[in-house]
Amino acid sequence: MSRNAEAALLVGAAILAALGTAIVTAAGGDRPDAQTALTFIIMLAAFGSLHLAFRQWAAEASPYLLPIAALLTAVGLVEIFRLDARAASLQRWWLLIAAGLGIAVLFLLKRLGIEALLRYRYLFLAGALILFLLPLLPSSWPLGGVEVNGSRLWLQLRVFDTTVVRFQPAELAKVLLVIFLASYLASRHRALSTMTRRLGPLSMPEPRQLFPLAAAWALSLVVLVYQRDLGASLLLLALFASMLYAASGRLSYPLVGAGLFVAGAVIAAQVFDHVQRRFDAWIRPWDDFADSGFQIAQSLFALGSGSLTGSGLGLGRPDFIPSATTDFVFSAVAEETGLAGSLAVVAAYALLVAVGFGIALRARDPYRKLLAAGLTAAIAIQAILIIGGVTRLLPLTGITLPFMSYGGSSLVANVIAIVILARLSHEIGNSASPSSLAVASQLRGKGNAK
Amino acid sequence: MNTPIRRLAFVLLAVLGIVVLNLTYLQAVAADRYRDDVRNPRVAADRSATERGPIVSREGIVLAQSTPDPRSAQDFIRSYPEGELYAHTVGYSSLLFGDRGVEDVYGAALSSGSDLTISGIIDTLLGREQGAEGVRLTISHPIQQAAARTLNGQAGSIVAIEPATGEILAMYSSPGFDPNVLLGTSPTAGDALAADPQEPLRNRATNQILAPGSSFKLIATAAALESGTANPDTAYPDLLELPLPGSTSVIRNADRDVCGDGVSVTLATAFRRSCNTVFGQVGIDVGAELLGETAAAFGFGDEIPFDLAVVPSVFPTELLLGDPAATAQSAIGQRDVQAGTLQMASVAATIVNDGVVMRPYLVSERFDRDLNILEQERPVELRRAISPGTAAVLVDLMQDAVANGTGRAAQVESLTVGGKTGTAQVPGAAPHAWFVGFAASEDGAIAVAVAVENGGTAGEAATGGSVAAPMARQVFEAWRAER
Repeated sequence: MSRNAEAALLVGAAILAALGTAIVTAAGGDRPDAQTALTFIIMLAAFGSLHLAFRQWAAEASPYLLPIAALLTAVGLVEIFRLDARAASLQRWWLLIAAGLGIAVLFLLKRLGIEALLRYRYLFLAGALILFLLPLLPSSWPLGGVEVNGSRLWLQLRVFDTTVVRFQPAELAKVLLVIFLASYLASRHRALSTMTRRLGPLSMPEPRQLFPLAAAWALSLVVLVYQRDLGASLLLLALFASMLYAASGRLSYPLVGAGLFVAGAVIAAQVFDHVQRRFDAWIRPWDDFADSGFQIAQSLFALGSGSLTGSGLGLGRPDFIPSATTDFVFSAVAEETGLAGSLAVVAAYALLVAVGFGIALRARDPYRKLLAAGLTAAIAIQAILIIGGVTRLLPLTGITLPFMSYGGSSLVANVIAIVILARLSHEIGNSASPSSLAVASQLRGKGNAK
Repeated sequence: MNTPIRRLAFVLLAVLGIVVLNLTYLQAVAADRYRDDVRNPRVAADRSATERGPIVSREGIVLAQSTPDPRSAQDFIRSYPEGELYAHTVGYSSLLFGDRGVEDVYGAALSSGSDLTISGIIDTLLGREQGAEGVRLTISHPIQQAAARTLNGQAGSIVAIEPATGEILAMYSSPGFDPNVLLGTSPTAGDALAADPQEPLRNRATNQILAPGSSFKLIATAAALESGTANPDTAYPDLLELPLPGSTSVIRNADRDVCGDGVSVTLATAFRRSCNTVFGQVGIDVGAELLGETAAAFGFGDEIPFDLAVVPSVFPTELLLGDPAATAQSAIGQRDVQAGTLQMASVAATIVNDGVVMRPYLVSERFDRDLNILEQERPVELRRAISPGTAAVLVDLMQDAVANGTGRAAQVESLTVGGKTGTAQVPGAAPHAWFVGFAASEDGAIAVAVAVENGGTAGEAATGGSVAAPMARQVFEAWRAER
């Protein structure tokens, strides 16, 4: 595949978004109007400019990354428009902003090199921690946290008591944290994989090497308890465990991490009512249908009503689903496009996993490998957590579905992640035009780089 | 480092695979269960987006209607303006509690105009707007109101029929309920009604059978007259107690006295005064088989063909063959004989209609949005139950019972009224009070059955003559006022 094929796919995604918008408008009994044209133009402008930037500064980058992101964004835009036209027009602006920031990041990476990220890693760590904890600021301050649906995830900027913008800083923190962890773990992966101590049946490295794991555990519990956000907490922990495992090859890290989290969560469930309620709603949603089980039940009703082929765009009732443009956007898509549509969305994330990890496998040094694997894992874990949550596979959590949920912070963060992945794949060099066959064989075969 | 990265990729892909399996289960295997769950708001939305046609009374009073929902342009709200009065006949169409009554039986016609007649299919093909059909009942609103007023919450039911056609003029079951409370998405009110030991949701007029007591003497008399076993002037010994063959038990009269002079009494006198000793003997003379045949001719043992489902009345002939004692008790409407209110109203209507059983019906016509009649119900003769001669004799006997006997309280000035009371003994509880009769003027008639469960508020003191007959009079007066 070439850049030209990428361009064609991006035009296809823009047509898909425009067509979806037109169908939704027609289903509402109106003639397709400026909204359809605007959707097409903005999709084309955002992804077209990213495409041109790729040609300029990441010419050898994998051509799969942008089309997958564009496809998911298009499906999300259509469903958001179907539910809330005002939100869709805001999301279009956010898409342009995300594209602009993505191009800026790509330019900086080209000028300074990926190594620049290494140099400022503690700055990234500090930034990530601050961003994570910002929503704990008092909501009465001009820049303060705000509680939505029982979770304190949002930061809002207010001028004269008018909310100017709301932002979910954890989304961006996630990317910063992956950058930090990649450089931190890359420099220490030998120490981490050398087991010098034994604790019962478990081999242990030097205790001081365990500091990052302990810090991760502590941070995820702080998020769980104070921000009441099981989703961000689980995402953080799974991301830490994944990257520690990738760096060390020791399964004990994810196992101990999971064990610690379960222990922490069990205690939290005993002590904190809101955690208990989340678990109850997961295990027995029908017992407390009217209250804690209501959201997940509405999601399951939507999925069942969608059945195999869906109600058709604009013809279902996703307006019955709470938070349908954000946490539950997947359920809304699944209702209107059926199993066919919902599996297509999951397939797109699976493809992104294959492409992202393909880049990681072929990257030339541990730092680049961990960065690519971490960014891909972050997107994949987040998608799994929220799709699993709205389908009752996992406890329901309030995080966004990458590229699809309404929300500027999420879109910006994920576009930046894609841009970094693109730059990483560009740096691999000439071999960086992998066919899907090559990706598969990379995943299957014994890797040649260590 | 590639090996753990590769494994991590596989784990993430495997988890996505589990997500796919779970989605397939939810959207393919279990989809119907979630789609049709009554708590799924889409189910209610589909209902409320369907306009149902109106149900109106004989006079055109609206009993059920769909009005546009002020909160949502394409939705409708179903309501029952007369509330409790027609709760069992009109019924309800409820998301949580299902459909009942005319709302159920005529649900297809009410909820869409697209019928499967040739013209309906052509209209559909031509894209003509058909709209929901309306349904007109045969029930006369003032008579229905009189029935409700006179029962006044006591457990029981009243059915009134126009004898010549079989049209139901009133069908009321008590205690009732307000069907409007069943329409929402909250089950609280409906669950309370379903759990109420008084069973307000049950339509006692069609779905309850009780011992008919002496009102069954109409059928015993019909059997005796029809078979020639007796005529009104046939004399019977006037006994204090009728000894029952092959049994130690006896049959006594309700007042534990003789019927007439203590020597001999005619069938006519015994009918007027409702003497059990005589009718026990009539039952023995006629025999179980003939009693059973006559009861069956009136409709016992079969589900009455009616708009709503009807529990069949029971005359257990097989149990009585070769058992004259049980046959004697059955002839006075005790033991295992059980009758429904609609059935007994039909008995009275048949007698007034010269012995021909008309099919009772509740819906007179279906009409479209422009009030054009789409289909009109016609009276249907089911069969002849008794000869015109027997019917005429019974009419005379019934008039005598109201003019001079147990049914005096049913008398209405300026109408010809006849009937038979019943006071059915219930072991361990107060008796059921019955009145089965008719009223007639020069240009028409009305047949009525009143059944009051366990005596109503009168309790142990209740008799058919004191409790049920005055209720029948209220219905007759309402009918007269309408003419």
